[in-house]
Amino acid sequence: MAYSEKVVDHYNNPRNVGSFSKETAHVGTGLVGAPECGDVMKLQIKVNPGTGLIEDAKFKTFGCGSAIASSSLATEWLKGKTIEDAAKIKNTDIVNELKLPPVKIHCSVLAEDAIKAALADYRTKHGARAEAAVK
Amino acid sequence: MNYFEVFGLPRRLGIDVAELQRQFYELSRRYHPDFHAGAPPDEQASALDASARLNAAYRTLRDPVARIEYLVRLEEGRETKEGAAVKAQAPPELLEEMFEIQEALAEAKAGGLDEGTRATLRAQRERLRERLREADAKLAGPLSAAWDAADDSGRPKLRELLKQGLATRAYLKTVIEDLGQALGEEEGTGEHVAHHRH
Repeated sequence: MAYSEKVVDHYNNPRNVGSFSKETAHVGTGLVGAPECGDVMKLQIKVNPGTGLIEDAKFKTFGCGSAIASSSLATEWLKGKTIEDAAKIKNTDIVNELKLPPVKIHCSVLAEDAIKAALADYRTKHGARAEAAVK
Repeated sequence: MNYFEVFGLPRRLGIDVAELQRQFYELSRRYHPDFHAGAPPDEQASALDASARLNAAYRTLRDPVARIEYLVRLEEGRETKEGAAVKAQAPPELLEEMFEIQEALAEAKAGGLDEGTRATLRAQRERLRERLREADAKLAGPLSAAWDAADDSGRPKLRELLKQGLATRAYLKTVIEDLGQALGEEEGTGEHVAHHRH
């Protein structure tokens, strides 16, 4: 199957590969998998507590090229966004940007799931405290 | 006509495979093109279709895991593996573990595989193979039996358990294949679950 240029680009030069150390504060982690193919994807966000913006994002994906490209793109998009805006990223946006063929749509779904899981993890860990601070 | 109906079987996971094989041979003879060589073209064509469906049905139903995958798809009314309304979630600990194995494998590969590392990876692969055998035995044994024994109210829960079992085996199989690939000792391609990365 031929990959689009953008997929190949992200696959050859993945952005933001890695992970934050366990001690890093204000990090939300999402770990998801695709049971159909056994791919696993970890995506992390680091939020600036002052501005509430996602200042950094990292991922590690063990899977096919489309899964790597989807998560690489996701981390690029996440940076600079608020938690609320980050939650609006849809798998269809990733499909359009990377021109993923139908058989690879599940890779973009995986990336969206990873974003959601990371945001949920962040909210669980910091949400209550952040809201308390606002009030 | 679904695969169970091809053999006149109820939609159950417990199947007598010897009996299935016997029926397969009998039906194969009935649909064999040679017996329809003198028949009108449309009859020949329908015999050919029936023969192809029979082969696919037999390949799927004779294997306990492929049978479960097929049954789950039927229950959910979908044709393919993808597009499940409710995605099966493997236990979070398993996901965590698979991720750690993959991460360690990537590091080992980056460092070049010396004999010591290779031995470690081989031992790990053997343990994972054992767990895959256990997962398959659980699916084919107690879970299949429980599904057949369940009534309509018990089935949604069991369907979830079957899907979890299928997800678990898919993750194990992938990581076993990836270990084999790193070791230069690829797994033989399984017949029922092909999920190669593209």
